[in-house]
Amino acid sequence: MREPLVEFTDFSFQYKSQTQETLHHINLTIYKGEKVLILGPSGCGKSTLANCVNGLIPFSYPGKITGSLKVAGVETKEASILEISKHVGTVQQDTDAQFVGLSVGEDIAYALENAAVPRSEMLPKVEKAATIVGMEDFLIQPPFELSGGQKQKVALGGILHDEEELLLFDEPLAALDPAMGMTAVDLIDRIHREQNKTVMIIEHRLEDVLYRHVDRIILMNEGTILMDATPDELLSTGLLKENGIREPLYISALRNAGIRFKPGEHLENIEELDIGSYRAPILNEMEVSKPYDAPEGGEVLIEAEHVDFSYGNGKVLDDVSFTIRRGEKIAIVGKNGAGKSTMARMLCGIIRPQAGEIRIKGDNYLKFSIREIGRMIGYVMQNPNQMLVKDMIADEIRLALNLNGVEKDVADQRVEATLRMTGLYSMRNWPVSVLSYGQRKRVTIASILALQPDVIILDEPTAGQDYSHYTEIMSFLEMLNREYDITILFITHDMHLAIEYTDRAIVFADGKCIADNYVSTVLSDKQVIEQANLKETSLVLLARQVGADPDLFIRHFIEREREERKNGLN
Amino acid sequence: MDLTKRLFINIIPGTTFLDKLTGKTKIRLFFLLVLILIATWDMRILAPVCLIGIIGLISIRPNPKTVMGLTVFIVLVNLFNLFLIWVVTPDYGASIVGGSTLLLRLTDRYIITAETLWYFLTRFTKFMATFFVSLTFIQCITPSEMAAGLYANGISYKISTIVSIAFRYIPEIARDFSDIKISMQARGMELDSRKTSLWTRLKQNVMILAPLIIVSFDRVGNIADAMDLRGFGRGKKRTYYAEHEDTKGDKIVAVINVLLILAFVAILIGRIFFPGTYQVWAPWINA
Repeated sequence: MREPLVEFTDFSFQYKSQTQETLHHINLTIYKGEKVLILGPSGCGKSTLANCVNGLIPFSYPGKITGSLKVAGVETKEASILEISKHVGTVQQDTDAQFVGLSVGEDIAYALENAAVPRSEMLPKVEKAATIVGMEDFLIQPPFELSGGQKQKVALGGILHDEEELLLFDEPLAALDPAMGMTAVDLIDRIHREQNKTVMIIEHRLEDVLYRHVDRIILMNEGTILMDATPDELLSTGLLKENGIREPLYISALRNAGIRFKPGEHLENIEELDIGSYRAPILNEMEVSKPYDAPEGGEVLIEAEHVDFSYGNGKVLDDVSFTIRRGEKIAIVGKNGAGKSTMARMLCGIIRPQAGEIRIKGDNYLKFSIREIGRMIGYVMQNPNQMLVKDMIADEIRLALNLNGVEKDVADQRVEATLRMTGLYSMRNWPVSVLSYGQRKRVTIASILALQPDVIILDEPTAGQDYSHYTEIMSFLEMLNREYDITILFITHDMHLAIEYTDRAIVFADGKCIADNYVSTVLSDKQVIEQANLKETSLVLLARQVGADPDLFIRHFIEREREERKNGLN
Repeated sequence: MDLTKRLFINIIPGTTFLDKLTGKTKIRLFFLLVLILIATWDMRILAPVCLIGIIGLISIRPNPKTVMGLTVFIVLVNLFNLFLIWVVTPDYGASIVGGSTLLLRLTDRYIITAETLWYFLTRFTKFMATFFVSLTFIQCITPSEMAAGLYANGISYKISTIVSIAFRYIPEIARDFSDIKISMQARGMELDSRKTSLWTRLKQNVMILAPLIIVSFDRVGNIADAMDLRGFGRGKKRTYYAEHEDTKGDKIVAVINVLLILAFVAILIGRIFFPGTYQVWAPWINA
C-alpha cells in the first residue's frame, strides 16, 4: 500500500490581495517515494501550489484557504511553517537570494543552525550532505565565486539532513546553462533514488526535465489540474501546446512528419522510441519539404578583430574576431563566464579592447564615447526592473532621447514612432508599475529602440519566462528584425531560442570564439557542444537514429516552424 | 568580492593565532581594549595598547598594501586634526596637562609648549591605538564569526544575524548598482566628471536608485522566504557553524580578558576617586 505524503482534497486558495482564487478545487495526492513534475505556464498556479506545500502559504503569503491540504499527515493551515519545513525541503528558483550563508558549509548548515543542533553533530552532517551533492571540496568558499549550478547544489545540500522527506524544486533550471541544467536534473534523479526522497519539481521546461525519468506529470493551467498522467500519456496528447508548454523538439519533429501517436507508445525517452516505424515518414518529410536557408546579411556593421581583454588575473576574451552584418539575427552562446557578457559590454563601449580592434561601420570605435556608441548599438538587460527608472511608459522611452540631447520636436516624433512600432501606443500614459514582466521587457526594448540603433543586444531575453510569453517576446523581436531591418544579437543559453529565432551562432568557451556558423551546423557539432557547455538537441539525436544528416534535418525543422509561425501570425 | 576587499573584510577565516580564536573571544578582547582606550589618557597605558595593536595587526599578516595605504591616511587625518587644534588654541596643553613650558615662540599668539606637544602625542597615540586595534579586529573576524560572537555574548540572534546577512548581500547590491549604471550609460547618461556638473551627476545617481530599490526589494522578499523555509526563528537558541569550540588560544585570551577587566576597573576607580587636577598624565607632573 502506498503511503500518501501530500494530500490536497478539494483545496482552493485565494491570496489576500487578489479578488479571485489562484487555485480551484485541487485534488492531488503525492505518495512517498514518487517523483512528480508539476507543469504549467506562468501564472497557472504551480508556484502557488508549491508554496502551499512548503508552508509559505499561509505563513508568509496570507489568504483564504478552503478544503484540506495534509503534508506528512499534518493539516497545513493549522501547522506552523517550522513544523512543515521539517518535512519539506525547498530549493527556490533564485539561486542567489537563497544562499544565505557566507560560505558553502555555512549555507548547508543553515537549517541545522536554526534547529540549534550542536556543532559537533552539525559538522559530519554538513560533510555528508556536501559529499552527496559533490561540493565537499568547496566548504569554505564564499558564494561570490560560485556558479549558479554550484549555488543550486549547495541549496540542495542544505535540505538533505535526514529529516526532510519531500524535496521541492521551484523552477530549478531557470538560471542554469544547458549543461548545468542536465547535471542538475541528473543530480535530482540520483538523490531521489539513492536517498529515498520524494521529489516534486515545478518547471515549464519539459524536455529538459525529461532528461531523467519522472513518475507522473501534473499539468496545470488557470489554477486547476488538467491532467495527471505518465509522461508517455501526456506526450501523446496535444495538450502541451494548447496550454503554452513547449513540446520536446523531437516530439514536434515527429508530429511534423505526420506521425500520430498510439496510446501506450514510449515517448518519454528519445533513446527508447520505436524508431523503426518513424524512419520512413521522417525521411519522406525531408524529401518533400525544403530546408531553411539563412538570408545573407546586408552591409557590414560591426567588425571585431583579434580582441583581447582581461580582468586582473585571467583573459576573459582571447583573440576574438567576428563580423556582423545588417539584418542578421545572431545567438551568442556559451557557458556562464565564457566571455559572453564581457563581449556585450565591450560592444557597448563600457570596456574597451586591450588588444585588437573593433570597428563600427568601418570606423575604429575607440573614437566614439559610450553615449555615441549607444546610438548605434543598444543594450537590453536581462532583468527589466534594472532598467526602468521612470513612472510612465512614454517618459521611459523619452529618457534616452533626453539624455542624448535630442531636440524636443524630434524627440516627440521618435517617441510616438517607437510607441507605435512596439505596440505600446495605447498604453503610453500607463504607469510602468502596473505592467506584467513581459510588458516591462517590451518597454525596455522600446526605450532602446527610441535611439534608432542599428543593432540591439539582448541579454537572456527569455529567462524565467514560459513558452507563451517567450513566444510573444521573440515574435516581437522577429517582427522588428523583419520590418525594420534591425540587427539583433541574443546572449543566451536557450538552445530552443537559438534554433528557432536566429540564423547564426557565435560560440564562446573560455574567452575564445570557438565557432561562428549557422545554428544548425553549430548544434550538430559534438565537439563544440561539449566545449561550450551546450546540450545536444534531441533533433540531432533523432536525425542520427533515422540516419539523416543532423544539420539538414535541423534546417528542415526550422523552416517548418517558421512557416507555422508565419501562418499563425497572419 | 571587490567590495569586501575595499571594506577590509575577510570572508574566509585566516590561520594565525588571532584568526583561530572564536568570534566570542575576539569580540570580548576587542570590546575590552576599546573600553580601556576610551577610559584613559595615560600614556603608560596607551603606548603599550598601541604596541599590542600593531603587533596584533602584523601577526595576522594582512595585505601590506591596503594596510599601509589606510594607515598613512589615518595618520595624515590625525596630524591635520592636531594642527587645527593648535591653530585654534596654541596653548591647549596648559589647561589639560598643566603648565606651559615654552619651547618655541613663532608670534605672540602662536607658541609651542612642551605640554601641548605632550598632549598631542598622547592624543595621537590614543587614536592610533584605537585604529590598530579596530583594524586588527575587523581583519581577523569574518562576518559569520561576528554574528556568532555577538550571539555568544548575549545579543539576540535575530539581531546578530543582520551583520552576516548585510555582508552577504552588500556585494550583490553593489553589483546591481553597477549593472544599472552600465545600462544607463549605454542609454546616454554621461557619468564622466569632466563632462557633467556635480548637480547633474547627483540627479542621475538618484535616478539609478529607483530601479536599485525595486530590485533590492525583490531580493529581500526572496531572502526572507529562504530563511523561513529553513526554519529561521525556530527556537530561542541557535548554534553556529562558524563558531568552533574553545581552543587553547581562547583559554589564554580568556585569562588576558579577565586581566583587562581588572585593569579597566582600576582605571575607573583611579579616575573616580583620584581625579587629579588635570586630565592627561605627563611624566614631569606629579598629580
